[in-house]
Amino acid sequence: MHRFLCLSILLVGLFANTGSHATEVPPSISTADDLGPKVEQPIEFPHDRHAGPRNPADAADPSVPAKGGMEINCMYCHTGARRSAVAAIPPLQKCVGCHQTINSVRETPRIQKLFEYWDAKKPVPWKKVHDLPDFVRFNHERHIQRFVFAQNKPVQEACGYCHGDVKTMTVARRQKSLSMGWCVSCHEKDHPVDVAATKTTHGPNDCWQCHK
Amino acid sequence: MSVTNLLENWSQFRHGHPVDDKPHEEYKWAMAIDLDACTGCNACSVACYAENNIPVVGKEKFNAGQQMHWMRIERYWPEDGREFADQGAQFLPMMCQQCEAAPCETVCPAGATNHTADGVNSQIYNRCVGSRYCSANCPFKVRYFNWYDYPSTDNVWPAEMTQQLNPDVSVRSKGVMEKCTFCVQRMTAAKNTARNEGRLVRDGEVQTACQQACPTNAISFGNLVDPESKVAKQWAHQQVELSKEVQAKDAQEGGTDLRGYRIMEELRLYPSVMYLERVRESAI
Amino acid sequence: MIENGFNRRDFLKVLGWGGAVVALSGCGNTSVQDGAEIVTSYVEPPEYALPGIGVYFNSTCAQCDAGCSITGRVREGRVLKLEGNASSAINRGKLCGLGQAGVQAHYNPDRVREPLLRNGDKGEAITWDKALGLINEKLNGVKGDEIAFLTGAVSGHVKVLLKNYLEALGSKNHYAYDAVAPSVVRAANKKAYGVEMPRLRLDKAQVVVSFGADFLGAWVSPVHFSQEYAQFRKGSDGARGVLVQIESKMTLTGANADRWIAIRPGTEGILALGVINALDAAGLSLPADVAAVSKAYNAERVSKDTGVSAEQISKLATLLKARTPSLVIAGGAAEGYKHGSQNAAAIALLNRVLGNIGKTIEAPANVPFPQVAVTTGNRSSVQALNDSMANGKLKVLFSYGVNPVFTAPAALKFQDNLKKVSFKVVFANYLDETALAADLVLPLDSALEDWGTAVPEYLVEAAQLNIQQPLMEKLHAGTRGTGDILLALLKQRRANEYKDYEDFYSYLRSAVVKNKSALGGAGADDDTFWGETLSEGLVKLPASNGALSAKSSAAGLVLPAPAEEDSAYPLHLIPAVTANLRDGRHANQPWLQESPDPLTTIVWDSWVELHPKTAAKLGIVEGDIVEVTSRSGSVKAQAYLFPGIHPDAVSIPLGNGHTALGRWAKGVGINAFSLLDQVVDKDTGELALNETRVKIGKTGKRVMIVKDEGAAGGSQAGKKIAVSASTDEVELSGEV
Repeated sequence: MHRFLCLSILLVGLFANTGSHATEVPPSISTADDLGPKVEQPIEFPHDRHAGPRNPADAADPSVPAKGGMEINCMYCHTGARRSAVAAIPPLQKCVGCHQTINSVRETPRIQKLFEYWDAKKPVPWKKVHDLPDFVRFNHERHIQRFVFAQNKPVQEACGYCHGDVKTMTVARRQKSLSMGWCVSCHEKDHPVDVAATKTTHGPNDCWQCHK
Repeated sequence: MSVTNLLENWSQFRHGHPVDDKPHEEYKWAMAIDLDACTGCNACSVACYAENNIPVVGKEKFNAGQQMHWMRIERYWPEDGREFADQGAQFLPMMCQQCEAAPCETVCPAGATNHTADGVNSQIYNRCVGSRYCSANCPFKVRYFNWYDYPSTDNVWPAEMTQQLNPDVSVRSKGVMEKCTFCVQRMTAAKNTARNEGRLVRDGEVQTACQQACPTNAISFGNLVDPESKVAKQWAHQQVELSKEVQAKDAQEGGTDLRGYRIMEELRLYPSVMYLERVRESAI
Repeated sequence: MIENGFNRRDFLKVLGWGGAVVALSGCGNTSVQDGAEIVTSYVEPPEYALPGIGVYFNSTCAQCDAGCSITGRVREGRVLKLEGNASSAINRGKLCGLGQAGVQAHYNPDRVREPLLRNGDKGEAITWDKALGLINEKLNGVKGDEIAFLTGAVSGHVKVLLKNYLEALGSKNHYAYDAVAPSVVRAANKKAYGVEMPRLRLDKAQVVVSFGADFLGAWVSPVHFSQEYAQFRKGSDGARGVLVQIESKMTLTGANADRWIAIRPGTEGILALGVINALDAAGLSLPADVAAVSKAYNAERVSKDTGVSAEQISKLATLLKARTPSLVIAGGAAEGYKHGSQNAAAIALLNRVLGNIGKTIEAPANVPFPQVAVTTGNRSSVQALNDSMANGKLKVLFSYGVNPVFTAPAALKFQDNLKKVSFKVVFANYLDETALAADLVLPLDSALEDWGTAVPEYLVEAAQLNIQQPLMEKLHAGTRGTGDILLALLKQRRANEYKDYEDFYSYLRSAVVKNKSALGGAGADDDTFWGETLSEGLVKLPASNGALSAKSSAAGLVLPAPAEEDSAYPLHLIPAVTANLRDGRHANQPWLQESPDPLTTIVWDSWVELHPKTAAKLGIVEGDIVEVTSRSGSVKAQAYLFPGIHPDAVSIPLGNGHTALGRWAKGVGINAFSLLDQVVDKDTGELALNETRVKIGKTGKRVMIVKDEGAAGGSQAGKKIAVSASTDEVELSGEV
């Protein structure tokens, strides 16, 4: 790969203006978990409260505010992940569906804000945290089908490959670089095709698989 | 074929025989176009604009040869000096022929155009540096270069029109090459569904936009690896073989009663598109 | 797939779905970014709407009157692409380029967005209440016969409301206008077969002889005919159908013919009788009345009159005699003369003597609800309207779906006469030439936003009621549906009768559901029936096939001698109706402008087609700007030399030459309608489109023609690119 890239940059340098890419320092391809910037959301959605582990001290009574999380499956809200290319932000109706019966937090500022949107029938303008370049064709469904359904990995682990440990976050923050090199580093590895792990195969490496 | 191939054995892969060295495993997408059914109506071409976010360049740029129609209808007149074109015109839908030994691939300095495992010639826009070598080396002239940044060009996509753009297809920016993809976004979607159901894509499950629109069903598209697919049957009936450079029709002195041929076979590009000759009645 | 009306609105909402929006520019978001884009999700999602996955809705194409059913692909609330709906027998899942461009009519930036009232030279935006109030006010004290409604072809429930509105106003003046309709052929068919448009079974014919019917391009129902044509070419048991096209200017259909016969303009009827004469000579027994007429048309005379060789005529007769059944079609080229009716009648006789009636010419399905059946447009209606305007009889004119200021022949002086009408209301999607002449412009929803029904003129198998439904939320708050406007106007007159209908949707739903038992929904509950109807996009109407009554007699059929030479205007002008632009209403859809004309490959312009021989005589070469002058007008356009036109004729395509309409249409090319002389077919009074005589002069200017065929003019340069074989050389039976 490296030698190949050098060649192309050299050739590009021969053309005056088209080669402007070559003068820029290419971004380093990092596979480290470098944390993305903090993103301010209209409502500070606490992922830890929803997906984090239960605190044994929490009572079963929903009228008492819990201290721990609720271990809600990621796909309970992000329902698109298993059946669509996009995981989808849940519709407001989903949030309200639960929260209208959870009186213990009904008057907290975040939930009040939520109901303001609901009463106005306006969607919450969430900011996109994991925003891939527009030319990328990333399909959630394929990854969830493979890791969760074929290989029987825990959902939070499978989602965490790309999204990091969301259950420990309040507002989600990008943890992986999501660069092409980072994607390829995983696609190059051999993964078992199913739970029995009798056969392994690497991810697809056709350019068109991910570039649209 | 892929990143691994690029890295492992670029030159050997390129110079080897396109089919025997690397037989296709699950899919080899191919087409058959019946020129006797094609009426030259342009439905395919407009469908392609709609599906693939192709910019409309306008008269001036068209005149400069900067039109972007991935699928064009070529029109030929008989060249025997007759007074009238009394057997009509010859129409030929022309788009990327998805050559097995694609001449565009070998000359790309950036590796932006490659062969996929499905036997399709891919074009990766953000890898493309705009050298245009590929277009120069394409004998079919089916590669189109973005001379302008069409999304920001007046009257190409005014704000309202952008809502029509297909989210499954990138809108290309200035300085990159583009061409027919055999509607890769539709193939990807069909393969995804098939994967979920643990099977291969069925014949007819994926249609290209041009095929879908064609009012006379002149275009068929499918998987050549599957002998039961319509396209494989058509190729077989016409005795056209992917890895041959002289097909049955031309191998025999005086020809046979078959109609299948590929364009510019003598260049040994092994295109994935077979055409069926137009027919004209001899009794009138 | 489709749900009830009440939560439909939600679904149609456009979503700004970050992950699914288009990659508008490779230069836009080219790297991973955080927090730059906003993701909008549904507030309350319909259960089937999943971001990232397309949903399909069925509706009806409104680009022409053929009535193809369409399926719109909708993602995140936006309609992206139109496909054919496979459950319609008319287009069976296919769609032409014109139909595909329907999304560009919808998203077009030049749509009118609010009601406009004339204030001097300007249109002033007003509210709907004011606009509708104004109409009510202007109609006060105006007598019924001083009011007229001009439309194109109209059918379905919009037609019902339109008729009721006119009735409420006490007016009988509904003018249905179609500048390029086959109206003379319709009248001739009525005489020959007892129906205006029989079913033409191309698929059953072994030979099709078309006298200028461009059924693959722009004639009647081209997508349907193209499918039948494909079957005809494949043939039953490998016997490939043979197409012979006879016309003075090659159409798309002509370009696909096995034999294209160039004929002297206007002599189509003579040739038809000549072929009958030759059939007689070949031993076919003719009915006495036909023989009496055809005996005068011996090969020598016919050949001299038509310019078609005697050998060609006899070959054609031999073919027709040997291969049956055949099908003979009279089309636009044959009907466009003073004697167009006679031409069409002579051509219809061929079907009679060949025994095609009942075999390849079948009775069409009857529409059991005549109130929704199509009222076809014709050209004489605009003449009638023009006359009453010129007399100062009209005080209020409504116009919907037509652009007569652009399409009426110059000789009518339509625009001047229009000024005599004191209040002109135009229902418009765009500010076209007619809308610009209006006093009040009412902006319409696009065809992809509006509700409606339509019954196609050319029906296949059974009659069907096509459903038109919104594929997405309205783009502009200020537009309204045609039905909604008519309903609001009706409520001004008959409030009581329509008080139950809140909007056109509720009217439509109740009108369809009320008849559910006749529409195949007996026993189903209303919601289910309506849901299924919307889901299908059409309802099959109970079948009752009409019958043909072949009452054509050759007696009295007189064909004039070929037109005499006109030394002042030596050439026949044949205005061409092209598949892309038709009568010009689609000229502002850029895909159609950039889609090359199939024959000349010219884009974004008009041109003057000339035979190379004619051009050589006049010293004209390709690209010369020539001035084409008729008795009624004159235009300047680029010359294109072309082996598909008779040397006595020149052809200019219709559709371009707009002075308004929108950014992609205005100023492109020239308007050939402006050349037309007011000459009519004697029997029907229809404008004879091909009767205009012109002369051509060079202007001394020359341009490079912008076309797709390349510098070589479409030469294969000796290579085998597009290859042709004769039927002797190939074996078609057994092909996959």
